[in-house]
Formats: sequence, C-alpha cells, structure tokens
Amino acid sequence: MGAYVLRRLIQSVVVVIGVTLVSFLALQIGGDPTYLFVSERASLEEIEAARRALGFDRPLHVQYLSFVGDLVRGDFGQSLSYRQPAMGIVLEALPATIELTLFSMLMALSLAIPLGVLAAINRGTAWDGSVTTFAMLGQSIPNFWLGIMMILVFGLYLRWFPISGHVPFLTPLIAGDVGTAFGNLPRTLFHLVLPGLAVGTYSLARNTRLVRSSLLEVLEEDYVRTARSKGLPEKRVLFHHALRNAWLPVVTVIGLEFGFLLGGVVVVETVFSYPGIGRLLFAAINQRDIPLVQAGVILLAGIFIILNLLVDLIYVRLDPRMKLAGGRG
Amino acid sequence: MSEHGGVGAGPRTDALLAASRESDFRRELRRAARVMVDARWPVFAVIFLFLTALAAIFGPLVAPFDPNRQNLVLRLADPMTTGPDGGVFWLGSDALGRDVLTRLLYGARISLTVGIAAISVGGTIGIIAGLMAGYFGGWVDDVVMRLGDIQLAFPFILLAIMFLVVLGAGVWNLVLVLGIGQWVTYARIVRADTLSLREKEFVEAARALGDSTPSIIFRTILPNILAPLTVIASFNVASVILSEAALSFLGLGVPPSVPTWGSMLAESRDTLVANKWWLAVFPGVAIMLTVLSFNILGDWLRDFLDPRLRERT
Amino acid sequence: MNHMPMRIRSGVCLLALTLTVAGCAQRDENTIVVGLSADITTFEPGMISSRDNANIARHIFAGLFSLDADGQHVPDLAHTLELTDDGTGYVYTLREGLTCHDGEPLTAEDVAYTFNRIADPANRFTGNSPGFVFTSIGFQNAEALDDLRVQINIARKNPIAFGLITEIYVHCKDSYERMSLDEAASNPIGSGPYRLASWTRGSEVVLEKVKDRGNFQRIVWRIIPEASTRTAELVAGNVDIITNVVPEQIEAIEASGRAEVHAVSGTRRMYLGFNLSEASRQMPGGEAIQDPAVRRALQYAVDVPTICRQLLSVECQRATGPVNPPNANPNLTPYPFDPAMAERLLDEAGWERGDDGIRFSIRLQAGRGRYVNDVNVILAITQYLEDVGLDVELELLEWASVYTPLLRERSMGPLFFLGSGGGLWSPIYDMTDLADVDSGTNYTHWDDPRWFSRWAELSEAETAEERRPVIDEMLQVFYDDGPWLHLYFQPDFYGVSNRVDWEARRDERVYLFDARLRL
Repeated sequence: MGAYVLRRLIQSVVVVIGVTLVSFLALQIGGDPTYLFVSERASLEEIEAARRALGFDRPLHVQYLSFVGDLVRGDFGQSLSYRQPAMGIVLEALPATIELTLFSMLMALSLAIPLGVLAAINRGTAWDGSVTTFAMLGQSIPNFWLGIMMILVFGLYLRWFPISGHVPFLTPLIAGDVGTAFGNLPRTLFHLVLPGLAVGTYSLARNTRLVRSSLLEVLEEDYVRTARSKGLPEKRVLFHHALRNAWLPVVTVIGLEFGFLLGGVVVVETVFSYPGIGRLLFAAINQRDIPLVQAGVILLAGIFIILNLLVDLIYVRLDPRMKLAGGRG
Repeated sequence: MSEHGGVGAGPRTDALLAASRESDFRRELRRAARVMVDARWPVFAVIFLFLTALAAIFGPLVAPFDPNRQNLVLRLADPMTTGPDGGVFWLGSDALGRDVLTRLLYGARISLTVGIAAISVGGTIGIIAGLMAGYFGGWVDDVVMRLGDIQLAFPFILLAIMFLVVLGAGVWNLVLVLGIGQWVTYARIVRADTLSLREKEFVEAARALGDSTPSIIFRTILPNILAPLTVIASFNVASVILSEAALSFLGLGVPPSVPTWGSMLAESRDTLVANKWWLAVFPGVAIMLTVLSFNILGDWLRDFLDPRLRERT
Repeated sequence: MNHMPMRIRSGVCLLALTLTVAGCAQRDENTIVVGLSADITTFEPGMISSRDNANIARHIFAGLFSLDADGQHVPDLAHTLELTDDGTGYVYTLREGLTCHDGEPLTAEDVAYTFNRIADPANRFTGNSPGFVFTSIGFQNAEALDDLRVQINIARKNPIAFGLITEIYVHCKDSYERMSLDEAASNPIGSGPYRLASWTRGSEVVLEKVKDRGNFQRIVWRIIPEASTRTAELVAGNVDIITNVVPEQIEAIEASGRAEVHAVSGTRRMYLGFNLSEASRQMPGGEAIQDPAVRRALQYAVDVPTICRQLLSVECQRATGPVNPPNANPNLTPYPFDPAMAERLLDEAGWERGDDGIRFSIRLQAGRGRYVNDVNVILAITQYLEDVGLDVELELLEWASVYTPLLRERSMGPLFFLGSGGGLWSPIYDMTDLADVDSGTNYTHWDDPRWFSRWAELSEAETAEERRPVIDEMLQVFYDDGPWLHLYFQPDFYGVSNRVDWEARRDERVYLFDARLRL
C-alpha cells in the first residue's frame, strides 16, 4: 500500500510540473503581459523599462526556471494585477468554490441515488420514464442558461431564493470563528441553492442514469438472482446485495466529478456573482496574470490528484476484487 | 520468413477476416434495427438527427434571408412579423434585426460541423495515442498516460479558455480546443482494449504471418475496438455542443457574425429578462433536442453493444 | 373543523416569513447598495486606474479640489488655489482641522507626501495618477510651504493642470510610511468621509461613514458582472443603484414599477479612428483612407442617429469632433446619413465599384465587451460600410490582452473602434488626445499642421476668450479632414431603485454623498 501511494505521489509531481509548463507556455506565447501594467499614455521607453522591471525581457526558459526555483522554495510569486502574493489570493477564493462544488456534488449524489433506484426498480413504468426524461433533459441544458432562468423564476418572480452573492461558511470556520460560521450556515446554504443547481444539474442527471443502469445490471447478476431464489424479501435483496455493488461505479466517478464540476464553476460564478476561484482565474487568464494563473492551476491540480488518490484507495476498500497493481490506468 | 510471404499472407487473412466481418456486419445491422425499434426512442432520435443533418446541408438553400443581413429598425421583432420586401420573420428577429430562422438553419451547419469535427480530432489523436500506448507499452505507455493525467488534472474549461484567449476566437480554433479536450477518454479506452487484444490468437497469428507492425495495429486491432468508441463519440458530440455554448457565453466562441446555436443562445442572455423569449427558446430547443438525440443514440448503442462487449471478455 | 386550516395557514405564513427574511435580507435604512459590473483590483492610490475602482476610492480619499456634476472646479480639502507668476507652481491652502482615518491631523506635509510617493519610481506605480495625470502635467515635485500650504511644481504652463490635479487621491503620511506596498494595496488610509470596512475580492466592498458628507452610514458596492443578474437584483429590491444597464433591459426595469433607469448623455467620445501610419498603409484599405476625401465620404455612410435609437435606446445628436457639446464648435452641423452622397464622393475620389460591387477592402478592428452594446454597434457599422461598397474585414478582439497592446503600440488596423473618456470642464481636455503627433493617444498618426501647430498658441493664451477662436478653427479642420469617423457620446444607463434619490452624472462618476432615502 505504502509503495503504491508513494509511486502515485511521484507521478503526481510529474503531472504538476507538466501543468505549470503548459499554462506558462500558453500564456507567454499568447502575448506580452507588460501592456497591462503600464499607463495608457506610457511611451515606448517606459513600456520597455516596465518590461525589464517585470522580468518579461528574459528568455522564456530562464523565466520558467526562475519560476520553478521560487516554487520549490514555496514562493508562488506576486499576482501582477493585485500586487499581492498569488497563492494568498487564490486561497482566499478557494473556500467559496469548495462550498459550491461540495454542495452541488452532495446534492447531485443524494438526489441521483434515490432517483436512479426508483427508476431501476420500476423499470419500464411511468416512474422510470419521467426520471429518465428528466435526466436526459438535465444533460442537455447549458448551465448559464439554466442559471439565468432560475434567477428570473425562483429569484425574481417567486422570490424563493436569493438571486446572487455568497455568505461565507468555511472562511470563518478555518479562521476558528465557529460561532460566526454556524451562524452563517443557514444563509450560506440558502445562497447556494440556485448556483448549486446550475452547477450540479448536469452531474445529477448523469449520475441518475449511471445509478439506474448499474443497478439494473447488478439486478441481473447471478448472486442477486440466487438471493431472490432463496426467498429473501425484495427490500433486503435490494439494499443488502444489489445497492452495495451498484455504488461502485458511482464512487469511481466522484474523483473525476470534482474536475468536471469545476468546469461549470467559471460560468456559474459569473452568472451568480459568486466570488470563487473560477471567476478569479478567468479574469487572471484574460489579464495574463501568470503567477495568479499558476498558483490557481497548481492548487486545483493538487486537489484533483489527492482526491483521485483517495477515491482509488476507498475503491479498493469497497471492492476487494480490485488489485492495486496498476491503479485505474 | 521472406518479405514476399508476409505481403502475400496479409491480404489473404484480410480477405477472410473481411468476409466474416461482412456477414457479421449484416447480422449486427439487423439486430441493431430490431433493438432500436423495440426501444422506440432511438427511432425518434435518428429521425431528428437526420432532419437536422438535412437542415445543415440544404437549410441555407431554403433560408428566407441572408444570415448576416441586419435590419436595425425591425430588431427584436416578434415571430411572424413581416420583414422587408415582404419576407416574414417566422421565428422573429434578433438584436440586430437578423432573421432567427435563417440563423438557426445556418447554425445547424456550423454547430454540427464543430461537434463532429471536434470528435474526429479528439478521436483520431486519442485512438492513435491509445493504440501506441497499449501495443508498445513501456515508456510510450508512460508518456501517453502521464500526458493524459496532466490534462485531466487541469479543469478542461480553464485549458480551453487559456488556449482560446491565446489563439483568438474562430471556428477552427474552437474545433481544435474542443477536440483536444476529448482525446484522453478515447486514449484510455483504446489502450485498455489494445492491451487485452495484443495477446489474442488472431493477433498472434497476424504477427506469425509476418504482418508489419502498423498493419497489425491499424488493420487487425483497430477494427476490433472501434465499436465501444462510437458510444463515447455520440455522448461527446452532445457535450461538445454544450461546451461551445458555454465558451460563447464567456465570449470565447465563434466570431459574432458566425451563427451557431450556442452563440445564439449566449446572445439571448441579455434579452431574457425583457421577455424576448424567441431568441432563447428556438436555439435552446435546437440544442436540447440535438443533445438529447445524441444521448439517446449513445444509450442505445451501448445497450446494443453491451452483450458483445461481455462476450469478448 | 376550523382548527386545521388555521394551523396550515399559519404554517405556510411561517414558512413564507422565513423564506422572505432569509431571501431578501432586511433592508437597513442606513445602508445603500450599489451593483457594479466590473471587479476592482486595488486600493493603492498609485495603482487605481479603472472607473469603478476610482469611484469607490473617491469616497475614501478626498482630493484637493474636485469637479462637480457640471464640471465646475470646487474646493474640497483645499479652499484656495493660487498660481505662481510663471504659471508652473500650484499653491493650495488646506482647510483647517482636517484629519486622516488613522486619527492623525491632515497637513500640507501629507499632501506633499502623497504627490511625491505616487511619483516615486521605486514604487513602480502605473495607475491613472502617475501614468496619466503626472505625465500630462509634467509633474516635478511637491513641497509643504507650511502646515496648511502645499506647492505642486509642474514642468510648463498648462491650461488644464488644475482640473487634472483633482484626480489625485490624498493619503496620509504616517500610516503609509509604516505599511509595505502589499499592505497598502488593501488598507487605504484616506481623508474622505468613508473608510474601508471590508473587502471581499470579487464580491463586495463595504464602506463605513467616519465624517460628514453622505447620508448613509454604510455603502455596499457589490460586484455583479452579469447584466441580467444585476437587473434582477435591482428589481427584486436588494440593490439600490446599478451601473451599465444593458439597453435591452431598460423596458423591463421601467415596467417593474420598483426602479427606473437614468439615461445620461455621457462624455465618452465614441469614434472610428482612421489609422494613417505607414504600417497601416500596408493593410487592406490603408491606402484609400490616406485621402481626406475618402474619410469625408465615409462620414455620410453611417446612420448614427439610428444606431443610437435602436441599439442604445436613446436619441442622440451625432458628434462633430472630439469635444463634448457645451464646449464644441457651435458652427458645425453633424454629418447627415446620406449613402448616395457617400457613394458619389467615393466615385469622385477614384474608388469606383468593381464588377463585384466592391470599391475596396478595409480592415476594421474593435475590442469587445468594453462599451455599451459594442459588439452590436460595430456589426451595424460594418453593415453600413458594406452598403456603400466597402468589403469590411472585421476583427473583434479580446479587450484586455489583445486590443489594448495594439492601442498602446498605436498599431491598429486602418479602421478601429474606440471610446475615449472626455470631460465637460474644458474643451482642451477633450482635445488632449491629439496634443502631439507622437502622443501615446494619437492612435491615428494624424499629422495635419493646421491642427498640431496651434497648440503653442493655446498654452500661451491667457484667457478662455482668447483660446476660443483658436479652438474653433482647429475643430473645423478636424471636422473637415480629421482622422475620426464621428459617432456619438456614449450614453450611460443607471438603474435606480424607488427607495433612493440619486442623480446620475454625465462623467461616469458614481458619488453617493448626496444620495438619500426617499421619504
């Protein structure tokens, strides 16, 4: 087990270096960021001086190596547009995004499992039909459109939920202010409903179908048939034998799900005026704020890698048939 | 074995394989049709996609207007409004007075092209990378898989934004970026299948007969692993169309004079609150039905291919 | 029988109540909420450059003087301004008893410190103050003459320096000397009526009143980038004022009965520039536009009033030059929309339609997402130009990272779309874009001596009356043979809730000192 984890961690370092290299090259080749840091009326000499001061006149490999050197020392550099330590800014925006992704993931799973089960055990009935139709629709609506429609319907006309904004829960919690954190919690959740739905609907739909189809498959397996033929009550067959195994494919996707949900976050954070990392990085890319982009990308890649490692380990626990040999390839 | 033998043996085995594949193919096709009719929905999906394809190919011929012809005075006109020269805006006009129906028809062409081209780009890269990784193993495998890991560790949307900001908006840049976003899925599946096929008798046989490595990879192994990829491909066309819409929303899609369903929907966002429903509903429904059809088709393909996949393992 | 429905009803009420309370936070009488479209990046006075950022900063940092809504130069921290005899020393006398947010008294020393700190090359500041104001006035240094008098020295006489100096944010020496640049970026210590209470990046800025001017104890600036969301928050009553209302949403806001739209004719001058440089000459259309007759012909091709009415939802009068209306040359009439005239003039200039109906191709570049309805406006202009026989190669570029560098290097295509911030307080301020053939803002590389040779006369003239005839002659040249295809002064749309009384200004400044609750 230890050796396996160690090997995965070494692979992860390679991956993180690759991620920084890709983003560094993409942004550097894309254009000279100097212009964003000089006044509109600066002369060409002033621009040249600023370029030297910012270090953009050095050859690319020198810039990259000096960046990696700083990185090894734990220095992620200064954000060019905010003029503050890049990692600090990213970490400030991270809790809000974690709240959003976690909320939508939990929502997607907690609704997907009962819906999927409902559809599977009532295969071919109206229940199955409506759940499947809903899942199909959920997978074909662009999230920004869903977001704006929900704002208009649930926020403006029905007034059930707040339209935009964010009430922090994790930030005070991390700061040790437990009272404020839990005092905020109801409002935090309330503000998360609409953006959470906008981010999570696609996953909800996809997972519903996944649960349904994997449960249907398991219900056909020999051991379930055996259990049934032994005269065990249907409920017991379902929960004790079938569901436990139907879980597995769902667990597998959780790790990938995080990366996937983050994809929706950029758009949804913009629609709901939600102060998260997606909007921050989108703006940073537009402004060629390379240190900020790098810090964000490294952080996200790190979370993604650790999450997937954990998922793999949990997977092994759940399914002893699985061997650790090659990971999931 | 001499070169001649090798070359001579290749076509012979190929012909045999092809013959058996041929009858297999007919049988499969019949089964496919049967499964489809049984399931009902896939029939509708195929019909809808067929009509959409017709619209994409012939739509511009029957479109009532020029897709970029503006008419500022008749902007945001309701559906069925009579336009200039007696033409009718059947589905209304947009913020610049362009005909929504015409743009929808032209949009079908571009949206489908983008979807299918992106899948082709991603599929080609992924299949080749997966075949190499699976067949050669060793460092080739390591490099391909690590590249895949790097890409997966990067939220795709950030990667796409980064490259589109750098490359600029444009249909082909979009195809490239969306295609590159897909390759890892294909590569992983192809690699796993190739690994399991590499040691199978018919591959060993081809090798023993002296077929060249490219011939083994592309003519012996590839045809046997294509089927499950069609499932992934049909799901992916759906997600590519949605990604295109999301990137248009962020201002990174196609140039604004080029109509796509995604960009039309993105343009409608400011008028939603003003109740100009037709700007959102028509492209929205077009996207929804197309995505739905591809998803249904993918489901059906998977159900249909599943027993065979099981037989093989 | 009666009990059940009662209980159900009260249950529903309770549910509704919790939902409402949680959904629409109780509106506090002492708080005003403003929804902005763009994020802000810094509170470092030397780095502030965007309009939204400057608007918030102005509530924290006062200026020596300020410009009121009518463009009048009015006292603020200082009550008088005197010029030295040679016109290069500006002596300001401060009001007595001023204090900083850190509790220290605000003296002439703080003001001198402010100016010198912003200009200090070691700080590498690139905001509006060092990058535009100081370079425009040729800032030399500042010194405290005594506790209340401070002298700002500039390189040469300048008729608009007094106005530009109003844009400097006065801050406090003791606090800033203690802070690192990092700390200063998020801890503004100013001298204005409000101080920064909290700042959540990408979300909101909260200001708290510390001294007089201003009717609200708290101002909350919320960053809401998506236009529909901004409008929804306004109509739902959670936000009192929003900026950048999209023209398409004006009707919806007005119809809600809960808010209205204030449309003001802004001072930002929107134009299509003709780039006359050698590099642009090599591009499609670059040769044709060298001829003033071609430029004049194209003025007739674009229907500006229709663009305003249809795409910007306002009636506008087309611009006649770079200067905002009250100060413009009153004898000039806007070019009418007359495509036949445009075609005739193009024929006469030797650019007749070819067999394919095309006279010449021309590249048109524009940034996107920066100005009101810019993409639609530029698409409409493209159509008008194509209607008179041009083949337009439109390039819509990402604003910050692609279009801005082109602007800075003055290397746009032969036609480019731009809006340049203007003012009401001086015609010269509006003309300064083209103060010199080589100035960074002469994006057109226009070099007509009938315009550029007159600047010396302007700075020598003693009074506005002496300058006026020179200005009018220059504007006539600009109108006839200038490098701009004149469009309009950008209208600005603000959504204002019925809850508050607030007047939108024409110069994009959002100041809330006089905003009050409606009774």
